[in-house]
Amino acid sequence: MNWGIPMADKDRITAMDQELDALFATARRQSLPLDEALTDRILADALALQSAPAAPARPVPAQAVRPGRLAQFFALLGGWPAVAGLATATVAGLWIGTTSPDMLYAQTGLFESASSSEASDLYLVDAFSAFDALPAGG
Amino acid sequence: MSDMAFDALDELDDDALLVLFANGDGTAARLLTRRLAPRVLNHAARLTGDRAEAEDVTQEAMLRLWRIAPDWRRGEARVTTWLYRVTANLCTDRLRRRRGGTAPLDSVPEPEDEHPGVAETMQDRARMDALQQALDGLPERQRQAVVLRHIEGMTNPEIAEIMEIGVEAVESLTARGKRALATALAGRRDELGYTDG
Repeated sequence: MNWGIPMADKDRITAMDQELDALFATARRQSLPLDEALTDRILADALALQSAPAAPARPVPAQAVRPGRLAQFFALLGGWPAVAGLATATVAGLWIGTTSPDMLYAQTGLFESASSSEASDLYLVDAFSAFDALPAGG
Repeated sequence: MSDMAFDALDELDDDALLVLFANGDGTAARLLTRRLAPRVLNHAARLTGDRAEAEDVTQEAMLRLWRIAPDWRRGEARVTTWLYRVTANLCTDRLRRRRGGTAPLDSVPEPEDEHPGVAETMQDRARMDALQQALDGLPERQRQAVVLRHIEGMTNPEIAEIMEIGVEAVESLTARGKRALATALAGRRDELGYTDG
């Protein structure tokens, strides 16, 4: 189908279509410079708006605030939640390490003796011994 | 502000600079102007074919950017996408107001390149003028799509976002636009120094 365009014209259009890419490339390399007068006008508008009564300041984006070395270190560890977990584990480790074994046995002994006869003796304790002091036959 | 601080802020993206601007930072305004205004100016020049109008559009588009800064929502849209959209709308308004006018020939950007020969410069100039005239003859949406794709070098999805249409519609607009440009310029091939064969 030639869309009613004479063949010679069609060839010229096809050739031009290919040359257009080079033309676009030339256009891409050229640009209007931003002259000083226009820059001044744009900045004057910006300044006028900044001088106007301002809305409450918004928080500066995190990207705009350069983090300190400590913050960078924490970020490396996975952020504040990870650091909090690490601190908890450290304190627990310290407690286990400094606690005397006796105290540890005291803590764990309850579980160890749960199956011993001493433990079952707990259930043989006379819970109502106070009644022994009451007069008999009253 | 020192050059060092200027350079440090220059590493920030447009979103961050816009928030700093909204918080009263003058350096952010200078950086955003230097970064974005040339792009707006050149895009507007391609769409209107008129440098003076392109400058007015650039000032207006940047003013709208300053105004929206306090309400800008980071991450919702890219600043450049928003700015290209505003620029195109401003250009469309101006083109509709001046229906029937002709584009001044000095609207096409001057070459800023590597000292080409005089004849080559004149030929490039003639070709750029012819290209601009052919662009001016396209329907507005086709012109915008062709300029964004072939001169600004954007991808079809980026153009789709700017023009708020689907990617297929962008492909259709650019294909039809390029074909129309080829048709318009085919008759001037000899004049523009293109030879057959």
